[in-house]
Amino acid sequence: MEAQAQIAIDTFLRQTGGYVASQLEACTRCGMCAEACHFYEATGNPEYAPVWKIELLKRAYEQRFTLVGRAKLAIGVDKLITDDELLQFSKIVYEACTMCNKCSMVCPMGIQLGPLIHEVRAGLSAAGMVPQDLMKAVNKQLEEGSPLGMTDEVYESRMEWVADEWEVDLPMDVKGAETLVVFSSIEVMKFPENIAAIAKILHAAGEKWTLSQAGREVVNFGFYEGSEERTVLFLKRIFDAAVQLGVKRIVVTECGHAYDALRWTSYNLMEVPPGIEITHIVGLIGEYLRTGRIKLKEGALDGRTITFHDACKIQRRGGHIEEPRTILGILAPHSFRELSPNREESVCCGGGGGVIAIKEADPVRYAAFELKIQQMQRVGAQTVAMSCSNCRLQFTDCVQHFNLDVKVAGLSQLVADALIEE
Amino acid sequence: MADSIYHEMKKEGVSRRDFLKFCGLVAGAIGLEALPPVAGFHDVAAKNEQPLVEWVAQALESKPRLPVIWLEFQDCAGCTEALTRSQSPTLVDLVLNKITVEYHETLSAAAGFQVEGAKQMAMKKYAGQYILVVEGSISTADDGVYCTVGGRSSLDLLKEAAAGAAAIIATGNCSAFGGLPRAKPNPTGALGVAEIITDKPVVNIPGCPAIPEAFTGTLAHFLVFGSLPELDHLLRPKTFYGVTVHDRCLRRPFYEAGKFAASFDDEGARKGWCLYKLGCKGPTTYNACASMKWSGGLSFPIQSGHPCLGCSEPNFWDGGGFYQGQSAPLQRSNLTQVGIAAATGVALGAGVGIANARRRKKPVHSTEPEKKE
Amino acid sequence: MDWNKILEFARGPFFNVALLVFVAGMVYRLVRVVSLGWSPDRVPARGSKAKGVALSFLKGILIWPFIPWVKGTFKRNPIIYLAGGLFHLGLFVVIILGTPHMLVWKSLLGIGWPTLPLPIVDWLAAGAIVAMIILAINRVINPVLKLISGPAEWLNLLFVFLPMVTGYMMTHHLFFRYEVLYSLHMLAVDVMLIWIPVSRISHFMFYFFSKAIHGADFGKRAVTP
Repeated sequence: MEAQAQIAIDTFLRQTGGYVASQLEACTRCGMCAEACHFYEATGNPEYAPVWKIELLKRAYEQRFTLVGRAKLAIGVDKLITDDELLQFSKIVYEACTMCNKCSMVCPMGIQLGPLIHEVRAGLSAAGMVPQDLMKAVNKQLEEGSPLGMTDEVYESRMEWVADEWEVDLPMDVKGAETLVVFSSIEVMKFPENIAAIAKILHAAGEKWTLSQAGREVVNFGFYEGSEERTVLFLKRIFDAAVQLGVKRIVVTECGHAYDALRWTSYNLMEVPPGIEITHIVGLIGEYLRTGRIKLKEGALDGRTITFHDACKIQRRGGHIEEPRTILGILAPHSFRELSPNREESVCCGGGGGVIAIKEADPVRYAAFELKIQQMQRVGAQTVAMSCSNCRLQFTDCVQHFNLDVKVAGLSQLVADALIEE
Repeated sequence: MADSIYHEMKKEGVSRRDFLKFCGLVAGAIGLEALPPVAGFHDVAAKNEQPLVEWVAQALESKPRLPVIWLEFQDCAGCTEALTRSQSPTLVDLVLNKITVEYHETLSAAAGFQVEGAKQMAMKKYAGQYILVVEGSISTADDGVYCTVGGRSSLDLLKEAAAGAAAIIATGNCSAFGGLPRAKPNPTGALGVAEIITDKPVVNIPGCPAIPEAFTGTLAHFLVFGSLPELDHLLRPKTFYGVTVHDRCLRRPFYEAGKFAASFDDEGARKGWCLYKLGCKGPTTYNACASMKWSGGLSFPIQSGHPCLGCSEPNFWDGGGFYQGQSAPLQRSNLTQVGIAAATGVALGAGVGIANARRRKKPVHSTEPEKKE
Repeated sequence: MDWNKILEFARGPFFNVALLVFVAGMVYRLVRVVSLGWSPDRVPARGSKAKGVALSFLKGILIWPFIPWVKGTFKRNPIIYLAGGLFHLGLFVVIILGTPHMLVWKSLLGIGWPTLPLPIVDWLAAGAIVAMIILAINRVINPVLKLISGPAEWLNLLFVFLPMVTGYMMTHHLFFRYEVLYSLHMLAVDVMLIWIPVSRISHFMFYFFSKAIHGADFGKRAVTP
């Protein structure tokens, strides 16, 4: 038994409780999940089928936990997992999967392939079989606090610059504030106008909010990696800051997987400090509109066909599906067009799950984006809005790569620009 | 040389015209024109281009009456009753009285030694020519002590009578397949004729009782052609046992339409709907009930509102029960067996499952977070 | 070959044993999986898990079989979806709403129920058989299925196909005498009963787990499953 393979197998088995096992048993090998995977659809490579992505997990389970599997291994019909295979699957699982979980919606048995693929990543991570680019980013986050190198100092100076440039107040480490806002380094480093936009909205709503120096990074590369240890480490930075500042709520700004990690996963990985609500900025904006805390200029965006790209981790996996429609319904009642499919059935941008951080994944990432291009062209979109800055990074990069004539906008930015100030 | 049948009839004053009518009846009894073909007949008929009636006439004009010896063993005499109580005396009566001469225990006025003696004489006189008809199953357990006639076992009697027979007709399910005595646990070791006598041609006319016309038709066939009709794998004449009751049943359209009687005398039953749900074995029962019917074509069980029992098939008494669906399994696991099976599953599953759960807890040697690029 | 004897065996002791193996095997699989343990979900729900579970099952039964509700994902291969659905529809109708099978259930459970007229069941059975053939062909030519299929998948197809096709032949009295077809059908059914607990045909039991998990995971997030 090869060393790394053994570690991976041990991890797989450790993760395989009733939740994983009952779903592995439920699979009928029908292959329908492949039809939902944008990577498969874009390239036709059968190894991108979600069912194939969990193959190692299934083999580890069958070969150790089932009598038939053990028998097949014993007589040689099945083979043990090798280090080589770990390497092969590492490529597939990290470079050709964004953990968008659309596959689970097509599976006739409803198998949650996304979470299962996450378990595969956990095993690969334990065995040290993570793509170099991704691991580099993880280490950067470990050492510098952010995969984009947003150290304490960089953050401080960026925030000062944003506050100055956009003339907006960015409260930092305010003890007793009600809400802690945590930005993603993608916003801070690549879309700094987003900071100002969100700040503007919060002020307009009269929110008692604060930023945190220590809890400055909402992005969680440990989550991408699939390492429970590092996921928790990065989450703890945020929770510690929240406790230290005594806030009652944490708002995840325009980042997708961070919301998945913080809101939907943290409680099962660690002791989450009680009494702290976790929400997403798009949900918060929806709440503000509902309660009348902010008002928007109706039809502010009418005139250019605008569409909305549903982010997998905020809409399908996050539940904030109607808020963007409410917002764009006010901002562009005549010019808004839905992509097809949309909402929980939407097509992934192709850059999430850490894919955009891995250079080797570029070809397949661009191929997947062609599906989004087709979607946008079908509705004649001139602007595409989204609530995740990783999607925004992917869209921006691809618009440049494909030389497209479409404007990419963050939803919060559009809201901030249309605020009716009192 | 005995007189031919025609001559005997002529002596009794039967006219030529009536004789030919009789031949027609016999031809009908053989069932050749209405039912599946008989091996050899069509070839010969084609060569000679003559209608069946003339075949029959020729046979009856040239052949003497057919000697028949009728033995009864473990039986209820129902097959005999069916024959003699037949509603249409003409056909059956004529066949039995005009074509055959017989030794029959039940019908003989004589009894005891006299009748035994008559039988022995008949067997000697017609050795190699007589038809042996057997009714009732043969007891084989414990040296066949459970069925004796005149102190001799049915097994012995059968073997003795079969030795000089030209052919054997096993009439009724008992002599064909063992019948009711053979039902579980078969304490008498009941067997059908064909399982004991393997060196003589045997025809099975099963049924409980056998349809009289099936029996007489087969007899008539033997008389006219000197051979047995084409038989199926259970030695039943294909003429009468070539199709299932289901395939000729008058209630078949209701089966197809999904209209079933759910219980006896319910609305559906009164409307004549299919009796499949009441346990009708029609689909797996080969017999002529639905076409020839009983009591001279008067009716048959399904027509009268009772599901077919499957009485012309082997082991129909152990066929799952008369009111259990034809498709239902013959052996069902009882609750105890299911309980044991489930318990085995639980025990094995828990054993393996707990071992697996323990394996899960084994610590994983994970990699240290890398400190450098 | 005495088909009457083979029939009595296939309907009798062999069926009994097959049924017991089926029960023991399925219970074993269930207990073995469940005893791996279930970690509690400590994530506070935003929507209703129960509603998600209910919707997940209802959609599975009422909508999934009839409406391709996942838009734009079957461009490559709508056949799996349609053939799979037709197969399952035919299968369920035949074994639950077909009169002969209802009588089998009645003998096992003690209760019966109304059934459909033969022509409807017959056409659906034919449809199911055609669907299986299509699925088999698909499993040969589809690149994903070629990758993930092994001998077990082919045996699954075979052991389900045989009862269906012999049952159809029985209904139409094709080629052989009734006892032969009935025997073949029962033998095929018995083999299938034994095969189910050691194969993925047992998915109908794990269906309840995966669908419930699916519904709960989506319902928790207030997303329609």
